[in-house]
Amino acid sequence: MSDQDLVRTPITRRGFLAGATLAGFGAFLAACTTSGTASESPPSESATPAPSSSATPAPTSAPVEGPLNFANWPAYIDLTEDESSSPTLTDFEAKYGIEVKYVEDIQTNEDFYATLAPSLQAGLDTGWDLIVITDYMALRLVEAGWCEKIDPANTPTAAANLRAALRGIGWDPNQDYHYPWQSGADGLGYNRKSTGRELTSIADMFDPAFAGKTTLLSGYQDCFSYVALLLQARGEITNKAPDLTPEDGQKIVDFLKPFVDSGHIRAFTGNEYLQDFGSGDTWVAQVYSGDLASSAGEDDVFVYPVEGSIIWTDNMLIPKGAAHKRAAEAMIDFVYDPAIAARLANWIYYISPVEGVAEAIKALDPEAATNPLLFPPADVVAKQQGQIVVTAEEDKAFSDQMAELTGA
Amino acid sequence: MAGFVHRHRWLIPYALMAPGLLWLIVFFVVPNVQMFIFSVSEGTLQTGFTGPPEAWYPQNYPNAVAKFEENFVNSLVYGGLATTLCFLIGYPLAYTIAFRGGRYRNLLLFLVIAPFFTSFLIRTISWKIILGNDGPFLSVVRDVLGVVPANFTVIGTPLAVVAGLTYEFLPFMVLPLYVSLEKVDRQLVEAAQDLYAGPWRPGGTIAGAICGGALGVALVVGLGYSGLVGSGVAISTLAAAGMVGAGMGGAVGTWLISQSFLRVTLPLTIPGVFAGSLLTFIPAIGDYVNVALLGSPKTQMIGNVIQGRFLNQNDYPTASTLSFILMAAILVAIAAYARVLGTEDLGASAA
Repeated sequence: MSDQDLVRTPITRRGFLAGATLAGFGAFLAACTTSGTASESPPSESATPAPSSSATPAPTSAPVEGPLNFANWPAYIDLTEDESSSPTLTDFEAKYGIEVKYVEDIQTNEDFYATLAPSLQAGLDTGWDLIVITDYMALRLVEAGWCEKIDPANTPTAAANLRAALRGIGWDPNQDYHYPWQSGADGLGYNRKSTGRELTSIADMFDPAFAGKTTLLSGYQDCFSYVALLLQARGEITNKAPDLTPEDGQKIVDFLKPFVDSGHIRAFTGNEYLQDFGSGDTWVAQVYSGDLASSAGEDDVFVYPVEGSIIWTDNMLIPKGAAHKRAAEAMIDFVYDPAIAARLANWIYYISPVEGVAEAIKALDPEAATNPLLFPPADVVAKQQGQIVVTAEEDKAFSDQMAELTGA
Repeated sequence: MAGFVHRHRWLIPYALMAPGLLWLIVFFVVPNVQMFIFSVSEGTLQTGFTGPPEAWYPQNYPNAVAKFEENFVNSLVYGGLATTLCFLIGYPLAYTIAFRGGRYRNLLLFLVIAPFFTSFLIRTISWKIILGNDGPFLSVVRDVLGVVPANFTVIGTPLAVVAGLTYEFLPFMVLPLYVSLEKVDRQLVEAAQDLYAGPWRPGGTIAGAICGGALGVALVVGLGYSGLVGSGVAISTLAAAGMVGAGMGGAVGTWLISQSFLRVTLPLTIPGVFAGSLLTFIPAIGDYVNVALLGSPKTQMIGNVIQGRFLNQNDYPTASTLSFILMAAILVAIAAYARVLGTEDLGASAA
């Protein structure tokens, strides 16, 4: 399953706690079956221009024409208190006088890719102007030549405000095709009561005391990258996570296989680890940042392991042949305004890619400004590595290696 | 008009069949042809597919069998055990409802299907809670009785998977059994009793003990404790399971199975047994949700592989190959089963 995405069953800060576990399951099962159903977010219909103080008009002469067809993950946008509309989208519509058709149509990267691929292969418009896709899948789209080039003249704010850590990504170093939407991390989750001690490292997961109570994430993008951090610390792997080769993958398999065979690692999961923490079946797990804090018990703790953590990013892309490319560029630039980005981050609980959000968020919620989930401390960031970056052939090799571990 | 219809009345059966035929062609034949082509192709969604007519890859079939043999075995064993357990639980249940249900019959039948009013997923997830670390099963077995060590887990073992499958498909076994039991003419049973079909001893005791013992051993082996075979522990575990099974089977055979049941009721309900077994075995063998939620990497069934290959790795050829092999395996199993039971007419039991 494409567990990495499941997690993105995103957690808004309000009104999500109780249902989170089952909702996560819904996403998990949606991933198990063929495709999730699209749930349309409340359309923001007010296209009446209103005075906006936040930004200057677009710098080029090309007119911004709508509607902007924007596909994103569920609950990945800020909402008003009554959850009837999104302030970000409303403001965008007001500024440019065009309609945004915002559809929460992406449940997993793989499924969404499967819906896009036929059109893109045939050179047809996919119907989307802007999509949000995780690194490894974004890479796949960019390498296939299936993305429109972003005109830097239309995205000056984004170019100026993108955090340094997210620049120079191997597959698109100059932001020709993508700008990040939000990021999150893979780290160590554990139940303080069950483990009986505080854990700090990935190595702690392999303490014999936790046999049968330990889980890892099931996508190799998550699992291999994360275990590589441990093997790097032991000097067994020298490549950083993004540069892992199938040979490194084999070392990871060789390391993990005995733990799988002995039953120490009970399962490779999506974010149903939330449930397993609840039932006491999981004590220690590889988890996504934010999940435990927002949706699990108070003894369930998330830490950035001492070996490091894996950072992933969901990226905005403009699919080839998009009818309203200029509007998509306007949206990319718009969400890189620190004030708007802060409002977004303060709602959805993920790491904003925008420089200056830390300052801007203080005005909204002083507590959020120090939350390590929203703003990982410098020592954590220094030890963060991206997920594996692969070619199609390597993808097959890694998938096969992962299948060897998951048994399917 | 009437003349037209009259002249072309040979068309009428075809016209009546058309909706069903069309449905079959569009939703069965066409996808299967597509699947077959994939099954002898190579590649993934990313790398593109190469296949017929340019190149054929029939070696996909032996390769898939060799590579995923373990998953096929898991499927067959878990599916078979779940079906057997469903029968052992379902037959007495259906018998009781049909023969002793009285005016509560409909209520009892309703209770059998009542779980269906809840989502399949919720029901499976609830097994995670029942068998979970803090759940009722372990709190009795581990905390109260203390027969298992403190770090014992059920989730992730074949036991959990088979329990989930058995529960999931029990109604599919009970309903056909009930239908066939309900049709049994009581006068035939009375006639048999008049003709000295009394208790079945010692035949029932022996048969019950043999069947029970075999089942006990099969359960232990099938549930994955077979890794212990060869050590002293295994032999004693197997022996213990066999003895317990034999004891229980013997008791059942001695006191509950009569000659009239053996010679009249059971043979008359064989079509129900056949239908129930198929309705249980076929979905159970292809199931992947139970393993995904209750299993571990070592208990993966073939359905999990197919699901992962199709949706995660986009490796359509391997997934299609495995689907065809599974289909073939099921057909062969059914054919063999039909021959053994002597019920080649499934329609007889569908009534």
